Amino acid sequence: MTPLSRRAFVAAATAALLVGCGGPGSHRTTTGRAQGTPPPSSAPAGAKPAHALGRSVPVGLRIPAIGVDTPVMRLGLEPDGTMQVPPVTAHDRAGWYRHSPTPGQVGPSVLLGHVTVGSYGDGVFRRLARLRRGDRIVVRLENGTEAGFAVTALRTVAKKDFPADDVYGDVNRPELRLITCGGPRSGHGYLDNVIVFAALSPGTP
Amino acid sequence: MRESDSMRRTVLSATALACTAVLAGTVPAFADGATPVPSASPTRATPTTAPAPSAEPTRAPASARPSAVPTRVPGRGQVSVRPSAAPNTGVTEASSGSGDEGGLIGGAAAALVAGGAAVFVVRRRRATGA
Repeated sequence: MTPLSRRAFVAAATAALLVGCGGPGSHRTTTGRAQGTPPPSSAPAGAKPAHALGRSVPVGLRIPAIGVDTPVMRLGLEPDGTMQVPPVTAHDRAGWYRHSPTPGQVGPSVLLGHVTVGSYGDGVFRRLARLRRGDRIVVRLENGTEAGFAVTALRTVAKKDFPADDVYGDVNRPELRLITCGGPRSGHGYLDNVIVFAALSPGTP
Repeated sequence: MRESDSMRRTVLSATALACTAVLAGTVPAFADGATPVPSASPTRATPTTAPAPSAEPTRAPASARPSAVPTRVPGRGQVSVRPSAAPNTGVTEASSGSGDEGGLIGGAAAALVAGGAAVFVVRRRRATGA
């Protein structure tokens, strides 16, 4: 092999390594995004506090502003300690986290729904981020009654900065948390969570 | 003698091309394992600093005045078990993803470079009369 050929070989091998390693690695992005919305606020000043309801498991959820009318299933925890999510199906449904209060009880009642369900398309909470303060949420309960809530705040937060205290922390009135995913996509999921905060309306439903 | 030199160069060139192709082919394997995972920050509640027990029965703490912000109620959590990470409530369509595309682009570029190098070697060999 002549010196020139040897140089050509070394150059080719080096170039292949550099080009090959640079391609896929360059798509990595950091998720350090600024939180877009302010922290949740409470019900409008002067609003009469709603009376808490007795315990009754939710069986249905209706959000007229975004066309949601879905059955509600029960969700627990996965073995790794994360919250279960509803199954990814064509007609997915919302789920209530069974370690949280039932809707209408004092405390944050937590409901989840998918924003998208893979190849099936939109999830039940696809338009959750469009809710605005004051929008109405109605939860059908197992005992045949309904609990009416009004949206108090909506937040979009990076998953790595999930505000667990704001979502799961104790409160002194019946509240609701609706959670789904949002923000930029990453691989097979999303980088953010969309969280709707709502409070029980007086004279529910 | 010159013929054997030529044969040796041809074999070396082919080996170089094969090595380059193998190196380029391993690139997607690097990409698959390197996806960043959303951090699962532990969210189990640290024990709240409950007010010191007092003789008065269950009067609310002085700081619990009516406020615009929902009050944190001390004591046993209303959410009895906190999940350990943010809920994963969105499944995007299974796609090839930018990582795979990057691997393909890297592989194609490497193949082009290797091909160019091989052509260069052959031409050089011819020019030198080997």
